[in-house]
Amino acid sequence: MSNFWFLKGIKKGVKTEKFPYEQEESPPLWPSKISGSGKAECPTNAIENGKWNSEKCIFCRRCVPNYQPDGDQNLFDVSKGEKTFKRSFYVFPVDTGSCSGCNMEFFNIFSPQYDSSRLGIFMTNTPRHADALLVMGIMTDGMREALELAYEAMPEPKLVIGLGACALSGGILGTPPLPKDQYNIRISGCPPSPYTVLKALLKAKEGDDGLNEYSRSGTN
Amino acid sequence: MQWYKFGEPSGRYVGETAYHRITENMITEKTETLTEKYKELPGEFGFLYGPSTGGLLESVLFNIHTPGEVIKGIDVNPEVKLRKIIVNGLKPADALLRIERINAYHSASHSIAFCSAVEDALDIEVSETTRERRIAMIELERIRSNLEVIKRICEPAGFGVPYNQIAYLKEKISRIIGNLFDHRYMFSSNSIGFATLNFKDVSGELSDIRKDFSDIFDSLLQSKIFLNRLQNNGVIDTADLIGPAARAAGHNIDARIDSETLPYRDMNFKPAIFDEPDAFGRFYVRSMEVLDSIDLVMSIKLETQQEKSNDPKNSEGEGAARIESPQGDLFYYVKIFDGKIDHIELSSPSIPNINAFKKSMIGNIFTDFHFNWESFGIWISEAAVLFQ
Repeated sequence: MSNFWFLKGIKKGVKTEKFPYEQEESPPLWPSKISGSGKAECPTNAIENGKWNSEKCIFCRRCVPNYQPDGDQNLFDVSKGEKTFKRSFYVFPVDTGSCSGCNMEFFNIFSPQYDSSRLGIFMTNTPRHADALLVMGIMTDGMREALELAYEAMPEPKLVIGLGACALSGGILGTPPLPKDQYNIRISGCPPSPYTVLKALLKAKEGDDGLNEYSRSGTN
Repeated sequence: MQWYKFGEPSGRYVGETAYHRITENMITEKTETLTEKYKELPGEFGFLYGPSTGGLLESVLFNIHTPGEVIKGIDVNPEVKLRKIIVNGLKPADALLRIERINAYHSASHSIAFCSAVEDALDIEVSETTRERRIAMIELERIRSNLEVIKRICEPAGFGVPYNQIAYLKEKISRIIGNLFDHRYMFSSNSIGFATLNFKDVSGELSDIRKDFSDIFDSLLQSKIFLNRLQNNGVIDTADLIGPAARAAGHNIDARIDSETLPYRDMNFKPAIFDEPDAFGRFYVRSMEVLDSIDLVMSIKLETQQEKSNDPKNSEGEGAARIESPQGDLFYYVKIFDGKIDHIELSSPSIPNINAFKKSMIGNIFTDFHFNWESFGIWISEAAVLFQ
């Protein structure tokens, strides 16, 4: 019996995709980069004067058909990375008031299709062991102190990641937990796809230049 | 309101909104009830766990009263992440964008219950195609949600292989949902009066998932170590149970058979029932529901035609609807005036499930905690919402 599950696991073979060494196997259309022109009934003012702001966008499809998604998952911006985390990057998630969508997509990067552990990205259950604080959701009164304490408990050097429209701009539900300039990594989406999350984290752990074998394609 | 009336309670307990107690077909004004706080005895202390998302999926605060190992009482505070969501004064279509984001993992359940309540209030006729699409949406959501719960039960048991194999199947379901509805969480796939869908034959993929999950489920049932962690853990059998927790305790309770919002009755649907009111029973029922829901989705002929909303017959009115979300009965009441939301109430299944969890945890020990919590499939984001 001790080998039972081991053998069952082996029988299934490798299920992990070749991404990020090859193209994404199943990138979603929503959310992805949006382009177009003309009028848009945007509930979050993500489209103003024909310019699209991915950090405000909740990808509600109200701008269709004048604006269309292209499947590009590079919906992130890394203003500061850290080469110290090149081999192992521990992330501590804080849900300040999310709908659980960002939580699920973040946890999905550890599922066999993406297997972020093989790329040196891990989740930690305590901010004391964390290299980065990953903030999800709008600001709620009850989580304000927990967010501050988690940040203070982290050792240096540390990064702060904003995940999803709520954390970056408040989305459609409220106000963001932190001002834009306090995030070192900003990941757009409502919620961002696991591909986008993984690409952004890979770039963050490789340092300031952002040019590494995983993320050559640059930012939005 | 075609399905609900205000009056004295009648039929089984369904849940509670901020102002009302909901039973099968009645909305009753809530009476003030005193909530008893656990008083610690000498030698006992309160152990705070949370708020964090480290060991838990969402932020929540527990206060566990214990003399050291046995749990004598437990308080659950979901309101650490209470979100105040502005809905009143909005057009139903604009409110829907916010309702979908109450709980993304069950956005189809929330959006369908809300849309059905609005359609009831404004007397909007909904086509059979849309009603069947909505069943497909909810059942796909149920498959994914139950897989998530079963995966999370495997984690504290240290069952890494089934944990990862179920995570793999869950991601496959997310991709099927993404292909059918253009969004992995079905955001903006539901509208007032209709639902949109891309036609794609997914029966082959669903058959493969059914076969793989069936194999994992059978293997888990053969594992004594796994069963020992779940059996007699979190035993509860009370009249106010809903959803899988009620069905695990042997109660034939399901909004799919006693609510007319969606046409499950036409599909001869019968819920999975079990006779063990513990974490194992809840695991068993949820596993059976994965298989049943796959069969249900495969039996629906997903039509390709584009749908659009029929015109509302009224511009104001009140409506209510109840559906069976993966956690149990989900109920919405809306009052619309001049084409805008005037008042809205939500009865979330996670609230009765939190109450059941609190009662079922008494007498158990710390190591039982995670199995029992996960077996209820509680989602904090839908339990801590205040409409404004």
